[in-house]
Amino acid sequence: MQQLADRLLNEGFLQGLPTPVGYVLVVAFFAFVLLNFIMLVAGVTSWLERRVWARIQSRVGPNRVGPQGSIQWLADGIKNILKEDIVPLAADRILFKAAPYLAMMGFFAAFAVLPFGDGLIVADINVGILYVTAVTALVVVGILMAGWSSNNKWALLGGIRSAAQIISYEIPAALAILTIVLFTGTLSMQGIIRMQGWAPWNWFLFANPFAFVSFFIFYVSALAEGNRTPFDLPEAESELVAGAFTEYSGLRSLLFFLVEWGNLYVIGALATTLFLGGWHVPAFTESAFVLGVAQAVVFFLKSYFLVFVAMWIRATLPRVRVDQLMSLCWKYLVPISFVNMIGAALWFAIFPNGSRVASIAMVVFGLAIALYFLSRVRFHLRRAKPELTLSPIA
Amino acid sequence: MGYFANIRDSVRTIFEGLAITASHLVRKPYTIQYPDRTDIRVQDALPFRYRGLLDVDLEICTGCLACERACPIDCIVIDAEKDKQTKEMILKRFDIDLAKCMYCGLCSEPCPTGSIHHTPEFEGADYSLESLIRRFVKAPVVAYKPSKGPETDPEIAPILTRGLRYLDEFATPGGADAD
Amino acid sequence: MSHAIDVDIERQTPGGLETEEMTLNMGPQHPSTHGVLRFVVKADGEVMRRAIPDIGYLHRSIEKIAEKVGYHGFMPYTDRVDYVSAMQCNQGWAMACEALAGIQVPRRGEYCRVIASEFGRLASHLLSVGATGMDIGAVTPFTHAIREREYINDILEELCGARLTFNYMRIGGCAWDVPPGFVKRATAFLDRFEPLIDEYNELISFNKIYVERLANVAVIPREMAIAWNLVGPNLRGSGIRYDVRKDVPYSVYPEFEFDVPVGTGERGTLGDSYDRYMVRMRELKESCRILRQALGGIPAGPVIAKVPRNFKPPAGEVHVRVEASRGDMGWFVVSDGTAFPYRVHIRTGSYAAMAIIEELSKGLMIADLVAVIASLDIVAPEVDR
Repeated sequence: MQQLADRLLNEGFLQGLPTPVGYVLVVAFFAFVLLNFIMLVAGVTSWLERRVWARIQSRVGPNRVGPQGSIQWLADGIKNILKEDIVPLAADRILFKAAPYLAMMGFFAAFAVLPFGDGLIVADINVGILYVTAVTALVVVGILMAGWSSNNKWALLGGIRSAAQIISYEIPAALAILTIVLFTGTLSMQGIIRMQGWAPWNWFLFANPFAFVSFFIFYVSALAEGNRTPFDLPEAESELVAGAFTEYSGLRSLLFFLVEWGNLYVIGALATTLFLGGWHVPAFTESAFVLGVAQAVVFFLKSYFLVFVAMWIRATLPRVRVDQLMSLCWKYLVPISFVNMIGAALWFAIFPNGSRVASIAMVVFGLAIALYFLSRVRFHLRRAKPELTLSPIA
Repeated sequence: MGYFANIRDSVRTIFEGLAITASHLVRKPYTIQYPDRTDIRVQDALPFRYRGLLDVDLEICTGCLACERACPIDCIVIDAEKDKQTKEMILKRFDIDLAKCMYCGLCSEPCPTGSIHHTPEFEGADYSLESLIRRFVKAPVVAYKPSKGPETDPEIAPILTRGLRYLDEFATPGGADAD
Repeated sequence: MSHAIDVDIERQTPGGLETEEMTLNMGPQHPSTHGVLRFVVKADGEVMRRAIPDIGYLHRSIEKIAEKVGYHGFMPYTDRVDYVSAMQCNQGWAMACEALAGIQVPRRGEYCRVIASEFGRLASHLLSVGATGMDIGAVTPFTHAIREREYINDILEELCGARLTFNYMRIGGCAWDVPPGFVKRATAFLDRFEPLIDEYNELISFNKIYVERLANVAVIPREMAIAWNLVGPNLRGSGIRYDVRKDVPYSVYPEFEFDVPVGTGERGTLGDSYDRYMVRMRELKESCRILRQALGGIPAGPVIAKVPRNFKPPAGEVHVRVEASRGDMGWFVVSDGTAFPYRVHIRTGSYAAMAIIEELSKGLMIADLVAVIASLDIVAPEVDR
């Protein structure tokens, strides 16, 4: 983006403007584009989540508003915006109003370093991963503020639980990321992607067994950071109504939901960057434009698949209790990720350029797991007898 | 349970659970999308015994007041008196307050002709509570007198047949064999 | 309505820090699925000190209404005593009146009653395990359980015309006989349902997270279960093999072969929430066994005995027990010789279970409170009547 801004200022249509103003304009433009993208992605994710949930639960989900219910999220968004804006009487007004924006800033800022293609990135800073890890911690501040300023004991409980959870799970996530950074030597997002390739055996996921394990550690920790089931105790519906966000209504609650679903996409994009090969596609055409579009599409699909997996996990698993959550983090994930990192360091010492044989072996192993999974799915489909029609309406 | 046993159990059971939900993802959903995406009207598909809104066939009501006595909520109000000269029962009022009715079926059981019966209709929502009081008698009518043999009046016969068929569904105490 | 609630107590911790207890209100309106129950929770952070139940939000004076509507007219009201499994309540009232007047129910009527009651038990346990799953956080098994429950509702709808408040039984037998094709359809449902119990188990019962949430939580030892008057799956979850169908047999239950599942402490301590949950899952299978035997051998004959419309049992009192889904439901009826009962009292299992929660909640976490309520299978209509 820096080069684009410079080019526009020197040759493009922003000539004559002082440099800071030009930079600000370009940044604002990109922020606006990204904001729209995020709104669209978060909205469509909410619709898709409801449809996926519904099919898993043997029902249909929203299918009336728009074709197959695809603009349900728009209707929900408009409804939320039009709702009455309630600020509890004894709430801390400034904190109450500022909390959603802080939380949004936390995950929105991460989009500045998310790659969409080769060169399609807002800012390719050389500490990209570190920046993302640091900036998503702002969400904690937002949630804590929301919980405290609501003047509601349940919200406070939810906010504190959430803060403890997110802070604890930063550690295994960071350690899992470190395992990958050991190989790449660079923290920049594009740099990490460039070291992978389009074929599965060139992905970091299958590079060696330690990277395989650290993918799962990273994914689980990221789910915990995003307050998703099985770690969604802070917003457990059957216990705390909506946790830290109980008192919010209207536009502010919409922003919190946006944070949750947008965070999912950030998790997916991070995991894709680190483990799934990013935006690489085989070079099937000469045209750089078509290649760029293909790369963006591939990256989006890979991230979105991980978002889909998060939805699927949410529909399947029950909630973990707070003390079990903490014990899972500190007693299981942290030691395992430390051991993992040491193992990865040893592997890197033995095979500084990676091992082709090991990669292919891991790909075969991954395929075996996938095939076993599909065979279990088929077993369950076979065992369930076809649906009865006891009533002639069905 | 050991440390590694915990991890192994978690992975295995979560894997199995994910497989089950994945299998559900490809099954047909169970939802019946009422009221516009059903093959036939729901009311036509309900069983004959379904206890929906009450209906009274005044043509075959004998004015015996058995339903009024049987109702535990007193939602049926009947005004029937014997005319001094003609010795016929005159029905002046037959009101059922559907807002009070709990659809228990205790009124339709003792009816001798099946005149008060449940219909498969269940959509009774309305905007005013008064509209839920169904007044079945518009002008005083003479109650029905069941004839000794089969009913000959061609207008009443089909109604009586249906009413008796409704009553047939109830079990006969102590007596006839059922299938 | 509620006893005096203590004022917040200030507490001194070693080191000189002063903390207060938090008083939270898990109010009658709650996204939990058990009806209008209210708890005043005194918590020290996440750990509870006491959870004081406050009941009465669903009180409808059903026992008093019996004195006005008479014996025949009270039958629809018994559905509302526990609307989740209404058939067994019907049976309890019918049996109490028959015991007062000495009426013998024909054998076919008894078989119809058993079939209806066991279907009711299936429906109720399905709702209970689904709701337990949902309170723990797994939303999928709930809709699956409700889907199966809808099939049962369809079957019972063609039997008696209603899906929730059946009013199927009368004093002396049943109001409707089994319609043609019923046995075939019911057996087809059972054939489909039994493998699904296994699928349900694999999805949730053996799931590690689920087991961790329920095992060793709210352990009720044997003596405590008996002392606090628990019945039904709650009692059997603590290892006590007591089932009214076997120990104080009624109707035609002695003719059927079935086991009584008891908690064994398989994944934790004997008498924890997981045991109570698994007892309900196993009872689903046992009910299917009874149903198959009953459906296979319905005797011919009338379904209902002759009972006068103006039912005046001789003066006296009677206490009848029925094994409802939530345990031993006791029907105590005092008659004074008129057509209206003098006093009806219904003793339900959820009432005692509500009382034991205050005792169990000492030291539990708030997240566990919901799990405990779900595992004790408390429904508000039974608590308040």
